[in-house]
Amino acid sequence: MVAILFILFAGLAIGCAISMVAQRNPLYSAISLIGVFIGLACLYVMLAAPFIAAVQVIVYAGAIMVLVVFVIMLLNVEEEERRPLRLRALMPIAVVLAAILFAEAAFIIFFVHASPGTPTTNVSDIGLTSSIGAGLFTSYLLPFEITSLLLLMAIVGAITLARRGGLLPQDAGVVPGDQVFPQELLDRRQVGDLSPVATHSSEEAERLLGVKRTSPNKSG
Amino acid sequence: MEDLKHIGFVILGILVAFFVVMTLVAYTVLAERRVLGFIQGRLGPNRVGPGGFLQPLADLLKFIFKEDIVPDKSTRFVYFLAPVIATTAALMTIVVYPFGPEINLPILGTLRLVIARFDVALLYVLGVTSVGVYGVALAGWSSNNKYSLMGGLRSAAQMISYELALGLGLIGVILQSGTLELYSIVEQQAGHFGITGWNLIWAQPLGFIIYLIAAIAETNRVPFDLPEAETELVAGFHTEYSAMKFALFFLAEYVNMFTVSMLATTLFLGGWNGPFVHQLPWLGVFYFLGKVILFLFLYIWLRGTLPRFRFDQLMSFGWKFLVPAAIVNIVLTATLQWTPLFDWVSGYLKTATGLWG
Repeated sequence: MVAILFILFAGLAIGCAISMVAQRNPLYSAISLIGVFIGLACLYVMLAAPFIAAVQVIVYAGAIMVLVVFVIMLLNVEEEERRPLRLRALMPIAVVLAAILFAEAAFIIFFVHASPGTPTTNVSDIGLTSSIGAGLFTSYLLPFEITSLLLLMAIVGAITLARRGGLLPQDAGVVPGDQVFPQELLDRRQVGDLSPVATHSSEEAERLLGVKRTSPNKSG
Repeated sequence: MEDLKHIGFVILGILVAFFVVMTLVAYTVLAERRVLGFIQGRLGPNRVGPGGFLQPLADLLKFIFKEDIVPDKSTRFVYFLAPVIATTAALMTIVVYPFGPEINLPILGTLRLVIARFDVALLYVLGVTSVGVYGVALAGWSSNNKYSLMGGLRSAAQMISYELALGLGLIGVILQSGTLELYSIVEQQAGHFGITGWNLIWAQPLGFIIYLIAAIAETNRVPFDLPEAETELVAGFHTEYSAMKFALFFLAEYVNMFTVSMLATTLFLGGWNGPFVHQLPWLGVFYFLGKVILFLFLYIWLRGTLPRFRFDQLMSFGWKFLVPAAIVNIVLTATLQWTPLFDWVSGYLKTATGLWG
């Protein structure tokens, strides 16, 4: 019973992982990656770690991948074209690394598990929410706090990057349809001045920017 | 043998729960149309059967026999996958809700009216709900239609934003009950007379309001139905879907409504708790479904009453009001849990209400 379920979920994870690498369409790759995360979550449940499984689904499958799919949809990324391989030299290294990985797996299967005297302690409550919570807020408090600080830094960094430039002053009085440029774009010498300039028509914008106007097709 | 009996019980439970939920969902659709008709001063569907009672059946037949049109330039695999994801994710959460207390039956023994009891039930609900977004987002993308794409994008953005508020709004309840397991949370809300212990009344009023608003946004219902805003996007993400595939999206929306109502009932309205449940356990099932129906009526009522949000209003409301309010709720709950003030207040209130309870 357990073996059947394991084969089912492991097969799902591996199949989706292969599909993720092999697909040329980025959205298909993203969907395959979601499949991998869900397969992994099922495996975590089988390993008696329901909390990790739930977090895996909520954070990876539910939040991060939604953002990835969102960006792919928003940018309408086209199918990737097959290009000549530039880093051909890396291929033997990849083969060696894969061989090492398989050797490690074989070592664990044939030597570590085969060795007698493996402690078979009953660890029924180790994956439960309460034990994880207690662990996080007592013995692993410092790593927990450091991680939260790291995440806070990432949030502040993202907001700073998103806010840089392009912000209009409160009394800008720009009507929808106006084109807004940073001053920097018009006068190269004023580096760092990000005060915006609003124009009220495409002609004005082109004149300011010094762009040659492509004349519309007058025929017909 | 014991294992087989357990598996049999689980399968039976899933079938019964599925049947009950499906029936109620079908009649929610009918109720919605009739109540909206009443609100708008018209009759609504009342021709098929007495009072329109057989209307869901007629609708189902119509959906099955309609022509299934697939757009030529759609991304076929994803186009077919999307309604499946939406419906599956909507239906998967049903297994964790406790429909009633333990019931003693003459032959079968003690029967627990909850299909699966496990440690992280609440997180499971949140996780499965968050996967449901893909149904809508991928449907919008694969249809190869700009209105569908806009609907899908809006839905993805909206669900990410409001899931956060939804989850944070629930943390207050988790802090108080100290467990993520729904059956235990319901049991803790017994109180006097099956009413006074409800989390809604004096434990989590703010959390309840935050959850209610975020849940409406999660299910894409009015006033947060921007992914399918008729006046702007034709029908939003399901513009290109017809026949049974459209019916699956329709079903997913109503099942989602049903499950968020069940979660609200379980966490805030005491689940199956109510007067005389201990003497007559079967009453619990009716209390539970009654409370769920109350929420469903609220949904329909809101749809008949409120206008739709603008998209920037929706976003700023979610991020600048709901999320901070939820964080305030968490801090308040944690402080009150930590200090003896909470015990004192709730003890006082419980004795005060215990006078009549």
